[in-house]
Amino acid sequence: MSLADENTPITPDAPDADELARMRQARFEKIGKWTLPVIVMVIMLVAWDRIVVLNEIPHYILPGPGLVIETLIKDWPILFDALLVTLQITLMALAVAVLGGVGLAVLFTQSRWVEMSFYPYAVILQVTPIVSIAPLIFIYVDSRLAGLLLCAWLVAFFPILSNTTLGLNSADHGLRDLFRIYGATRWQRLRYLQLPSALPYFLGGLRIAGGLSLIGAVVAEYVAGTGGIGSGLAFRILEAGYRLNIPRMFAALILIAGSGVVIFAGLSFLSHMLLRKWHESALKRDG
Amino acid sequence: MRLTGSARIGDTPIFKDLDLSLEAGAWTCLLGASGVGKTTVLKLFAGLDEAVTLSGHLEAPERVALMAQSDMLLPWLSALDNVVIGAKLRGDRVDLDRGKEVLSRVGLADQAARKPTALSGGQRQRVALARTLMEDRDVVLLDEPFSALDALTRAQMQDLTAELLADRTVLLITHDPLEAARLGDRIVIMTAHGLADVPVPQGRIPRALDAQDVLQTQANLLNQLRMPS
Repeated sequence: MSLADENTPITPDAPDADELARMRQARFEKIGKWTLPVIVMVIMLVAWDRIVVLNEIPHYILPGPGLVIETLIKDWPILFDALLVTLQITLMALAVAVLGGVGLAVLFTQSRWVEMSFYPYAVILQVTPIVSIAPLIFIYVDSRLAGLLLCAWLVAFFPILSNTTLGLNSADHGLRDLFRIYGATRWQRLRYLQLPSALPYFLGGLRIAGGLSLIGAVVAEYVAGTGGIGSGLAFRILEAGYRLNIPRMFAALILIAGSGVVIFAGLSFLSHMLLRKWHESALKRDG
Repeated sequence: MRLTGSARIGDTPIFKDLDLSLEAGAWTCLLGASGVGKTTVLKLFAGLDEAVTLSGHLEAPERVALMAQSDMLLPWLSALDNVVIGAKLRGDRVDLDRGKEVLSRVGLADQAARKPTALSGGQRQRVALARTLMEDRDVVLLDEPFSALDALTRAQMQDLTAELLADRTVLLITHDPLEAARLGDRIVIMTAHGLADVPVPQGRIPRALDAQDVLQTQANLLNQLRMPS
């Protein structure tokens, strides 16, 4: 209440000008978050369509958005099967990355020797581009599926490993002291203190790893090339490229990008649900 | 309980020729400037001394309870689960009824299911106090437990803690001369030269905030702390 309020008494529940402005701002942001990207997309699609139509670009060079959608529907049986193959590899790789990443992180924090011995190699695997390792993998690994999985895993496991290691080591020192006073065993400290402390870090790594395992799966399919069980989306893009079926390339591309968005959104939702009760990152500030 | 000798961490000496005994069933307030090694003394008594090299002698019970400046609550557990964590870790039967009873003694009966992030700073410190009571140790170590609280909450917590931990052997580490004047059955100032006992005000703890001799002791303590060492 400032002095100026004396002449214009206001009831506590009547919002003043500042508050109205703040509410307007909040409403604008809430609506804008969804409408603005949609508007941008509509403009882009219309521009794309106009450019194709006005310049009379042939569909084997650049198809219009309408044709891409049409192809997506027409080729759905082929593309959907391919999508399932790619998603299968992606999710399996993510699952193995979680097991491997968390498992290694726990090993690393339990034993300095293990960490010192193996951490450099984890880094080397991470920084070596997967396209340069993948051909070797497909020479030595007979099973196509195992080869694809291995490639996707190599790309995806590192963020989980490094984030989880950081999380396990960042348990509060006061809490460590407390656990020592309570005579907690090593296992109890891991189970009741370090793993829950690492959860937010792990989930951050998981969101990155979700996108990376899709990239790993797609890259591996490209390297594996045609044949075998390789009939995922990347294989369909390659195949369509050889046949100059550009609309199908775009349709498959849309499915890959869409899958990536869905995976990211799904993992973000999972993260929110697990942390919303207690972690700072997920709590709404009141005031 | 008694601690004598010198301590260092690595090559850095922390204190020399110290001799501190804690009287059973009384509150000892250890007051001193930052960096004179108050917390090291507490860590030695608590058995959290892996980094400290003590050349001397330490008599301390095997099990103590500890309450520190940070509430040391597990953020993913409810207030009640935090209170009973000690029993859970020891593999004892988890007595939830007693946990609830202890929470109601610190005035948080309604907040048992809430997570620490949903509680205020003072409420979190009450949960930490409830956990300390739940442990039911004869010796309680308090490491500046109220220093992060606002003045009003601090006074309330001092009263509540003194009431609930009466007749236990307590070592209270503090920066705050008023806190020492209110809560010390014995007040010891720690400097680089050693320990000095300070006369305490009359009356049982917690002493009244506005008692003349409490305020006088506060002023004396502040003066002694300000003296160049």
